[in-house]
Amino acid sequence: MSVQVSTPAKRPTGEILFALVFVSVGAAGLLAAGSIPIPPSETGIGPRAFPYIVCAMLVLVGTGIVAQVFRGKVGEAEESEDLDVTAKTDWLALAKLVGFVVLHIFLIEPAGWPVAAAVLFSGAAWSLEAKPLWKAVIISVVLALVLQYVFGGLLGVSLPPGPLLEGVPFFHG
Amino acid sequence: MMLLEGFSTALQPVYLLYALGGVFVGTAVGVLPGIGPAMTVALLMPITYALDPAAALIVFAGIYYGGMYGGSTTSILLNTPGESSSIVTALEGNKMAKAGRGAAALATAAIGSFVAGTIATVLLSFLAPVVAELAVGLGPVDYVALMVVAFLTVGALLGASVLRGLASLALGLFIGMIGIDDSTAQQRFTFDNPTLVDGIDMVLVAVGLFALGEALYVASKLRHGPVEVIPVSKGKNAWLSKEDWKRSWKPWLRGTFIGFPIGTVPAGGADVSTFLSYAAERKLAKGANKAQFGKGAIEGVAGPEAANNAAAAGVLVPLLTLGIPTTATAAMMLTAFQRYQIQPGPLLFENQGALVWTLIASLYVGNLMLLVLNLPLVGLWVKILQIPRPYLYAGILVFAALGAFSVNFAAADVGILLVVGILGYFMRRYGYPVAPMVVAMILGPMFEVQLRRSLQLSQNDPTALFSSPFAVVVYVSMALIFVGSWWLRRRQASLEALPVKDEVSV
Repeated sequence: MSVQVSTPAKRPTGEILFALVFVSVGAAGLLAAGSIPIPPSETGIGPRAFPYIVCAMLVLVGTGIVAQVFRGKVGEAEESEDLDVTAKTDWLALAKLVGFVVLHIFLIEPAGWPVAAAVLFSGAAWSLEAKPLWKAVIISVVLALVLQYVFGGLLGVSLPPGPLLEGVPFFHG
Repeated sequence: MMLLEGFSTALQPVYLLYALGGVFVGTAVGVLPGIGPAMTVALLMPITYALDPAAALIVFAGIYYGGMYGGSTTSILLNTPGESSSIVTALEGNKMAKAGRGAAALATAAIGSFVAGTIATVLLSFLAPVVAELAVGLGPVDYVALMVVAFLTVGALLGASVLRGLASLALGLFIGMIGIDDSTAQQRFTFDNPTLVDGIDMVLVAVGLFALGEALYVASKLRHGPVEVIPVSKGKNAWLSKEDWKRSWKPWLRGTFIGFPIGTVPAGGADVSTFLSYAAERKLAKGANKAQFGKGAIEGVAGPEAANNAAAAGVLVPLLTLGIPTTATAAMMLTAFQRYQIQPGPLLFENQGALVWTLIASLYVGNLMLLVLNLPLVGLWVKILQIPRPYLYAGILVFAALGAFSVNFAAADVGILLVVGILGYFMRRYGYPVAPMVVAMILGPMFEVQLRRSLQLSQNDPTALFSSPFAVVVYVSMALIFVGSWWLRRRQASLEALPVKDEVSV
């Protein structure tokens, strides 16, 4: 196990904002729970009670975390094998990855799953600085076709092959 | 008798092939850094969508054990271990590997896992039907008590921060409520959105939190440059020596009997058992062996690895007999079962006996295959560990997207996956454990049904929740567990401080 590196205490703003997400989900839930219809035949605590309890818990716990952060008790960022804990957060890489997932979502229907998957893979590899890029693209195409064949063809998971591969029988089950 | 029938199914050549495939894929994915057993099961769910229920269960049994074992290979061979359930293995295993004894560490882990897994599966075969029979007599009040314990241990006990664990738990409960109320068929928190009426699928949340969230988190601080894998030495000294066997067999057995009971109560999971086993071995070691602790003592790999696998089998007891998942991995297994209309619980052994016994039989088979596969394939696992990280995480993203899409074949589901993934990223960043959310999401709706049933039966008298002797016993033991865990946590803190000191002084 590595020596514990204390995480820089420079980010309480983000942490407070995130804790406030819990508070606001809870608050919104408390408001919305009031309009859940209760059937007239209900004799127990009804469909509103549990939402009220859970949402109140969200508000309380979220507030508690905000209070803790203000008193200097910040959360311990999770460790992982490939993580450089001393590195600065690479927001650009994150934004690129999220962007490619969004692109993937919009490509599945019109272009077919293999195309969408190849774009996601090569885009993500590029965002994470894979070199050389052409290798990542080749891998992405091969991977997409293999997955389409294994899942769409062999395992019978109906992934849309898309207009490019529509005519190839072994790409769908 | 039923077990024999289970074997006769599980031993059919086709099903043996499925078991082999499950173990292989489970281990291969489990070896990947950053991928724990829960994520392995979540990511691999799509491969079983087209199989018949028996085949799917067999594959899952293989994936379950394979994923557990894969993690220990990672922590022994990679310089930067990270998964919590195998972190104890890393304490000594990593040191052993660095001292050129990686093969021995892997061997004691593999054989220990096999021994523990087999004994624990035997215990499971005997215990589960008995518990199921007892559980038939449990009323809603008793279930409420059991689930309260499961919630509190997963949410408050096992993480570093109690409040963050509870926040994750509450969010899971909230997401579990979205959709149609089980008791009254009213819509809750759907905002008249047709995608929300059916509720948010468990697979989306699990894959989003575990796979996408982890990939985004690692991507934000990726360690660039070559991957350092400790080379596995070959030669006659590499394999377990007579001495190693002598030092290993007792820890294997002790680990088994520490791990299995902890797995069965809704208060543990693998982490606690590995730590307890490690502490026990450290205490029991004598002389030169004791001095080796912190520098690569084989007992410190053998015991925790056995405990880990025994706990994995133990977790199946409450899962199969009560339908209560006590770890994130168990929650994923339950999700997988439910896809095949298999509802774990007291009646499972009666209603779907053939399937359950096939599952249990395939646990034996999977365990054996794990042993046979693992040692010869170490070279392959090393190759998997060396996959360049950009490709690895790009691949995880593609698989996560595939898993999400194939739930309903709707691109909108991949959108939900992305939202959950971003949530998972921030949860990791700010130290919120994700496991409580997954467990709460699946356990929450069951809990609410039982809670409302109990209160309805007692005309809304809350004291009725403490009216059954079983429930009272459960609540009292929970209080004891909390006191005990407070003590354990202090021990754990002092233990974790020790190897760090060693490393600094070297």
